[in-house]
Parts: sequence; C-alpha cells; structure tokens
Amino acid sequence: MRTSISRDDLHILLHEADVAARRLVRQLRLPRADLDDVRQDLLADLIARLPAYDPDRGALGAFAGTVLTNRATRIANKVKRERRMYGAMPISLDEPVPESDGLTRGDLTAEADGLSALFGQPVDAFAAAEHRLDVERGLGSLEPADRALCAALSRTTVDCLAASGHGARSSLYRRVKDIRLALTAIGVRAA
Amino acid sequence: MNVIASRIPAVRKPLTEIDLCVWVGQAAPGDVLEYHRGFLALDTLTQGARLAERERAELARVAHRAWWAASRGMIHLVQRRHRSDEYSYLAVARPKPKQASISLSSLLLAEAA
Repeated sequence: MRTSISRDDLHILLHEADVAARRLVRQLRLPRADLDDVRQDLLADLIARLPAYDPDRGALGAFAGTVLTNRATRIANKVKRERRMYGAMPISLDEPVPESDGLTRGDLTAEADGLSALFGQPVDAFAAAEHRLDVERGLGSLEPADRALCAALSRTTVDCLAASGHGARSSLYRRVKDIRLALTAIGVRAA
Repeated sequence: MNVIASRIPAVRKPLTEIDLCVWVGQAAPGDVLEYHRGFLALDTLTQGARLAERERAELARVAHRAWWAASRGMIHLVQRRHRSDEYSYLAVARPKPKQASISLSSLLLAEAA
C-alpha cells in the first residue's frame, strides 16, 4: 500500500492521464474543449485508487494504465449512452458558426430548441404570462374556499391536507375534480 | 331555427361532463352544442329505463354542469322539439363573462403566511 507519492511518480501519473485523455477524446470525437475535463476525471479516479497500488506486483505506469483504461471505458459508455438518448453528436454552444459574423451556436439557437423545451418546461415567456393571466382570471371565478384549496395544493398534497384536518380525503378529491371542471369551462387549460 | 340546426355538430358519442366543460371553455360566442337529444327530465330519472345506469349518471352530470355554466353567464340553454318526447337540448356559447382576476402571487403569499 502506498501513502505518499514522489515527484517522478506524479510525473508518470500526469503523463499517463494525459495520454489516456487524448486517446479517449480522439476515439469518441469529443470537442477539443472537453480534453481538460476528461483528463481531470481520469486523474481524479487514478489518484483515488493509488493507495491500492502494490509495487511488488508491477510498475506504477502499468497500474496507472490499467486504472485509466477502466475509467476511460466507463466514460466512453456514458458518452455513448447519452448520444443514444439524444440521438445526436453533442456540439458546443460556444462554437462559432461558419459565415455567421462571429455568432456562436448558442446565439442562433432558439429557446424553444433548448434543453428546457426537450424536457417539457415552458420556454415561451409570452405564453407563460398569458397562462398566468388565464389562471388569475380562473381563480377569480372560484369561491374563496376553493381558491384557498388551490393555493394550498400548490405546496402540498391532498393526502397531507386531509391528514392535517382540512377535510376528508374523498371530499377534497371531489372538490378538486369540481374545480378542474370549472376552470376548464372558464377556458383555463391544464398545465 | 334552421340556422342553428345547420350549426349543430353531429353527435357521435354521448357527451361527458369534461367534454362539455372543454367546449364551453373554447367555444366562440354563438357556437351551438347539442348536449343531449331525448327527454332530459325522463332520461335522468333514476327509475327510468331509457338509459343504462352509467349513461344516466353521466347525463345527469352533464345537465347539471350545463345548468351551472348557464347560471354563470357562460352559455344560453335552449331546446328544440322534434316530436313528442324528443327534444334537442342546446347550449349556445355567450361572450366570456368578465371576471375579476385574483393575483396569484397574493394568493400564494396569503396561503404561505
């Protein structure tokens, strides 16, 4: 077991990590900007596993090579999994677009094409403002008690309200159903 | 009457309460919906044998919701007689009533307090 590391050993580790990172970035066709991140990831894993190195079983370079190969495989699998999930090669938003007067991909990407939209989050600020106005108009048409129930349900659940003595669970669900129908008739669409 | 009849959409399946609410929420003033055809008073009777129990219960809910919407000024309720014991029950959309808005922020703050 090893508890300290010499300057020469550190040099070996840095070199091995650098070679492994360059190889991985090249194999996966990752952007050049990812090289430092990959190198740091590999190096951090290698340093964390260094106490397990036994000089009697082989050279430090060989140990580092084995650890880095394993870590590189895990990183490669992760990258491939993400690519399968999103179906495309990742590109940097900071990458300048050719013949676009210095604009980057981030400058030319609409909010509706962003990650938020992919995960179903609202990205249209105007639509969000209109929806809020609709909700406020809908709330105005409800009885005060139903309004209070809507507000309470924005921070808790029917079960919690029932448990804290705000009425029977079935009664609360009946009221929620009635509120949804009333809001639908008023023209408030479901979120 | 002929003008209204030509604007009545063909009914393919019995209307549900949520269908009616969606229509009320989206209808433009003057749009017409036939929400039932028959004799509503008889068709919603528990003892009546004109409809299956599930359909009768849904029809009662639809009729109640139509009455609720009319009482809120969202629709007019009218009916057209075809023959004895058979009517078209029509909802005619009205301009959306102006409601006083409630500030969502104030409501949520009041609830949190």
